[in-house]
Amino acid sequence: MKISDLTDNTGEWLRGTGPQSDIVISSRIRLARNVARFPFLSMANVKQKKELEETIRDKIKDADISQDLCYLNLADITPVDRLFLVERHLISRDHAGGEGERGVAFGKSETVSLMVNEEDHLRIQVIRSGFELKEAWKTIDEIDNKLEKRLNYAYSSRFGYLTACPTNVGTGMRASVMLHLPALGMTHHIEKVFNAVMKLGLVVRGLYGEGTQVSGDLYQISNQFTLGKSETEIIEIIESVIPRITSYERMARKSLISESREQLEDRVWRSYGMLKVARLISSEEIMHLLSQVRMGVNLGIINDIEMKTLNELFILTLPGHLQKLEGRELNSTQRNIIRASYVRKRLEK
Amino acid sequence: MKCESCNKKHATVHLTEIVGTVKKERHLCEECAQSINTHLTKIPSPTEILTSLINQVAPEINEMSKIVCPVCGLSYLEFRSHGRLGCAMDYTIFRKGLIPLLEKMHSSTQHIGKVPSRAGKELIKKNELMQLRNELNKAVEKEDYERAAELRDKIYEFSGENDED
Ligand SMILES: [Zn+2]
Ligand SMILES: [Zn+2]
Repeated sequence: MKISDLTDNTGEWLRGTGPQSDIVISSRIRLARNVARFPFLSMANVKQKKELEETIRDKIKDADISQDLCYLNLADITPVDRLFLVERHLISRDHAGGEGERGVAFGKSETVSLMVNEEDHLRIQVIRSGFELKEAWKTIDEIDNKLEKRLNYAYSSRFGYLTACPTNVGTGMRASVMLHLPALGMTHHIEKVFNAVMKLGLVVRGLYGEGTQVSGDLYQISNQFTLGKSETEIIEIIESVIPRITSYERMARKSLISESREQLEDRVWRSYGMLKVARLISSEEIMHLLSQVRMGVNLGIINDIEMKTLNELFILTLPGHLQKLEGRELNSTQRNIIRASYVRKRLEK
Repeated sequence: MKCESCNKKHATVHLTEIVGTVKKERHLCEECAQSINTHLTKIPSPTEILTSLINQVAPEINEMSKIVCPVCGLSYLEFRSHGRLGCAMDYTIFRKGLIPLLEKMHSSTQHIGKVPSRAGKELIKKNELMQLRNELNKAVEKEDYERAAELRDKIYEFSGENDED
């Protein structure tokens, strides 16, 4: 499988199915693991990094995680390809921008990805569409079991899985749920959600995680603590708060409809119109427009566009994707032109 | 919508800033957005949060500052400034500095989650036992006495097999 095989479609987790998928876009779990007989990456030399990369790559292949798993060495591919993989959520920004021997393995459905030599020797990730953290945990736990038979993980009974950064030590697990919360944003109730979430030791982040700007009303909620609670407990804490947030968002949507139906419909239709006619669309603007239209579809205001198409457009119109699509590097004005024409094409039937 | 900065051009950039817990929306034209982008308050990165935490809690600088890991060569001071450990051994070598940090970060310093099967059956049992105790505490807190009794039985069973307390 080549990267160009991925450009025509998107990962399974964007298909817009699964529990509460009108608001919960995806559920994701990642595990951080290190191999016992190597230093962590910041203190590893070139030779050790290479040995790690080869060892882990072979063990991943050997573990028979999924039949169609493909492995890419990130040093061998172009910056645009790496950006593309970031936008697909298959690798992190740090992994793309890193240096030295490092790689990623992922399956065709893009549900599973394994980053080699990121901040830790191994980062396993599972993403599912909708609100399905428990299922994601089941899958990732099995993958981890297969790998643990082949790799001697750095582990202590006191501190659990030992990681390069003490913020990940213990379970090494980050569980996160991506939410679309336009109405809470519009009604300025989103801060209340943040407060409630932070009281539970959870954090809120933007679409691409750590330190990124919130856009398109997309938020990721994930655990901060990784030590002192079991994986299941952590998942239960997140699972307990999500239904409260989704029903809060639904309430906000309802009150918007009952109090200012015309304004809301106008906003949604204008955004839809803009997507259909605009000749230049910036990446910030498109997130905003898609967010409005997505809510319009959920509320039944717009009926002639599929949720899957909308979810995909959030990803397919990102800079790396547009450049892959065109097969060349583009500056920001060129991207804005191509983005607009791509969206017009996708929305006309 | 007009750009809220220059009030002339059409606002095409819609930013959402989060400062602490407050969300703020900004509607700007492309030009103003470009010029303002560098001043935007970012959500602090985990590394920034981490190093500020380390500075708050890491004790006995003088005592710890001389410590260097004999395995990977990382010094405690380097860890303090970068927030990354150099090898698994550092958790033992820098233990004294790490414990208050972990306590602050995770409100705990004891792992009770998954145990790799290589680590041995004893350890797996010990962790399951700890998880059961944890659940028991929660059940008692919630005044769910039925569940608490159930858990207590399980713990007795476990301890018996294990020959522990
Ligand atoms: Zn302006
Ligand atoms: Zn060390």
